[in-house]
Amino acid sequence: MLNEMFANFDMIMTILLRGAAVGSLFAIIAMSFNVVHNATGILNFAQGTIFMLGAFGAYLLANRVGFAVWIPMLILVSIVIGLFTAAQGWLTLKPLRSGVEQNSWLISTMSVSVIIAAILTLNFGVFGNMVRGPVPRFEILGVRTDGAFLLAIGSMFAWYFALRWFLRRTFSGLAISALSQDFDAARAAGLNVGRLQLLAFGISGVIAGSVGFMVAPMISVSPDAGLRYVLNGFVAAVVGGIGNNTGTLIGGPLVGITAALTAFYIGGAYQDLASLLLLVAILMFLPQGLFGRAAARKV
Amino acid sequence: MTLSTTATPASPKPRPGRFDSDLPQFWIAVAILVAMGIIPAVLGSSYWEHSFQLMNIYIAVTILQNFLFVDAGQKSFGQGVLLGLGAYGFAVASGINDLPVFVGVLTGIVVAVAGGLLFALPALRVQGFHLGFVTLSAAVVFPQLLLQMDSVTQGLNGISMPTPGLSKPLVLGISPLSILCTLLPIAALAFHYGIRNSRLGRQMRTAAESPEAARSLGINPGHMSSLAFILAALGTGICGVLFVPAVSFVTPQSFLMDVSFIFFFSVVVGGRGQLLGPILGILAVFTIPNMLLVDLAEYKPLIYGFITLIVVIVFPDGIVGTIEEARRKRNQTGGGERAFHLSALTNWLNSLPDHAASETREPIISLKGATKRFGSVVAVDRVDLELRPGEIHGLVGANGSGKTSLLNVLNGFSRMNEGSYTFDKRDVSRASAADIARHGLGRTFQNPRIFPAFSVWNNVRVGLDARQSELPKELRAVLDSMRDDYASGLPTLLSHGQRRLLEVVRVALKDSRVVLFDEPAAGLSAEEREEFSSLIWLLSRKLGTTIVLVEHDLDLVWSIADRITVLETGKRIAQGSPEDLAKDPAVQHLFVGGDHAHA
Repeated sequence: MLNEMFANFDMIMTILLRGAAVGSLFAIIAMSFNVVHNATGILNFAQGTIFMLGAFGAYLLANRVGFAVWIPMLILVSIVIGLFTAAQGWLTLKPLRSGVEQNSWLISTMSVSVIIAAILTLNFGVFGNMVRGPVPRFEILGVRTDGAFLLAIGSMFAWYFALRWFLRRTFSGLAISALSQDFDAARAAGLNVGRLQLLAFGISGVIAGSVGFMVAPMISVSPDAGLRYVLNGFVAAVVGGIGNNTGTLIGGPLVGITAALTAFYIGGAYQDLASLLLLVAILMFLPQGLFGRAAARKV
Repeated sequence: MTLSTTATPASPKPRPGRFDSDLPQFWIAVAILVAMGIIPAVLGSSYWEHSFQLMNIYIAVTILQNFLFVDAGQKSFGQGVLLGLGAYGFAVASGINDLPVFVGVLTGIVVAVAGGLLFALPALRVQGFHLGFVTLSAAVVFPQLLLQMDSVTQGLNGISMPTPGLSKPLVLGISPLSILCTLLPIAALAFHYGIRNSRLGRQMRTAAESPEAARSLGINPGHMSSLAFILAALGTGICGVLFVPAVSFVTPQSFLMDVSFIFFFSVVVGGRGQLLGPILGILAVFTIPNMLLVDLAEYKPLIYGFITLIVVIVFPDGIVGTIEEARRKRNQTGGGERAFHLSALTNWLNSLPDHAASETREPIISLKGATKRFGSVVAVDRVDLELRPGEIHGLVGANGSGKTSLLNVLNGFSRMNEGSYTFDKRDVSRASAADIARHGLGRTFQNPRIFPAFSVWNNVRVGLDARQSELPKELRAVLDSMRDDYASGLPTLLSHGQRRLLEVVRVALKDSRVVLFDEPAAGLSAEEREEFSSLIWLLSRKLGTTIVLVEHDLDLVWSIADRITVLETGKRIAQGSPEDLAKDPAVQHLFVGGDHAHA
């Protein structure tokens, strides 16, 4: 009886830990959404495949290596993906400058996502690849845990505080915050809006790419998996209130744990369905999210 | 007050080109579809017959997506799911469970509509990219579910359902199936053309282009997008049913996410909103890559991804849209004073007898203790306001004094935190903007809401669409002449002043008993100001419309208003006739630096 309870406790801990770890990835995607959204008002549908690019970076350059190789490669991959995302941002924002065309971003970011996934499929096939990272397994509360799990949760907090510092303490960060408040006023104040928006895209790429690289050992590294992360990341952003980074700290793990519980009790194939239903429910009943605020209407 | 007739007289002018090419595009599309349906069968090529059957079904789905995307403004990445639901509903009911065909067909359609509800319900609450993610998510989940629920769907094996009867040649070697597959996209196209030229279609488009303008015309944008999703799901479900005999079997492989992408990208590549677009889009995104890359199937997503990206960045109007835009530019005539003038309408208004004076009648609007807060800011602070039928009521005050916030409370865009609001004896304190608009309130906006997708006449007509009462016979004649003048008019050629006047005409045709004007004179020339004030004077005196005028041009307000309310930091600080207020010391500072005090 007692043994059974302990077995259950182990299992519940495993589910919660796994859910929280996967959920912190969703939170990170949500934060990278927010950076771009606050600076430009758009959401980058390619964010999930960009995250996957980071994971493929680890697969190609840092599989089964020690820290001495892993860390420089992490930095290299993050920078390259950051530059790539900034370039994508430039391409996405180009038609928006005309003023007439305000919906094209949805199509162009989606087609970039399709293109990245197609190129990855052509080179690596559709199946998942395994990556072994340098962080060892360890025991927490008697549960054997993959080191990448802790990296995932750790990087969620690390990026959260780094973004908070950047947005509040640096000139560029404050300028990006100003963009999210009032676009025209920021432009009138002499800020170089275009440059700041590219910077926001670049930062979102660095965030998604670096975390994709670090957590490659705990995920299935496959071209199609990117969509799963972009969708769940969006659900996490909506739960926390779009644009609100603090909200993602709750939204991400909530979505992750919901998915883990669904996988355990109903079946792994129903995880994405659970996220979809959670999204629909939130949009129906709490469209501003848990922490969103009602804005004064502009007419 | 008399009307200055600056408007140009009607004179023969060169007939401009059509505003849009919808009708010619419709007939070209029908001709192409009929040719694709008949020629392979007549030539006896069963390979092409089958290819065109599937292609026609895809075209029909894309036509519905085009309607959803442009006319209703909803971006869906999940139309393939609805196609799959229709197909699986039919195949499971009639293919596995041997239910009669008509029951199976009905099941397919019902299941697809039920799936459409998953998109339609959130559309009641949120717009834009949110639904993009909902639909994309559905496209990811759907094939997983088909595999998982194998007790119903037979999983990866799929359902085989040959229908040899439908493939036997009927006339000229053409099978009933080919006929059905040809009629399907034609029906979808007729639906698209029909709804676009209907009142409902214009209201959907209005809601898609400007939810605020829609609500001020009594349209609930959520209802519109929701209805559009359901209509598209219904049609796509029918396509799904026909998919079964066209392909003879269904598997989860047929409804992977790529299928949804093909429909979405085809709309973009063909030309968003163009009736001919889906045919050329499917050709470019699906058929031609399929033919050229028979052995290189894995390159297909790369190809259509790149085609779409290039189209969006280099020629965002798409194939047909680029041609159409060139035609429009070539035929572009008019502009200047002729583009829009009011003489017909003002002549009619002038011919009416004066509306009975209404000093003694009950107030039509009565606002008591209205308070609106945004966080800690009190934008409207315990304001009382009573409006008499037919009066012109000025609302003045410095920037930030709460004028626009008060207007937003009056038309229901903002809900009061405290206070009561009665409109024509009905309590509307908690009513929605669309509700209040239907009850007889109209408004204009600081930036005129003119829709470039509509001709000048259709821009006026959305006001007429919102009208609840019978149209007087004389007005009908006036409108007929406006239709003749403006049916092909390009709204992009209108000057700022003309846009404003158009918006006034729109709201007047809506037959509003109260009209709110938000800084209508900003950016108008002296002549246009004159024209504008004549028009609202006529609306008030001839039709008995109550006018609320928020305006910085105090000369204008003082020259035309019957009564004026002065706001300061959200509070009402004075109210009275222009003469009395001009002497009121509490109001003097408004005139500092001006010479209005003697008004």
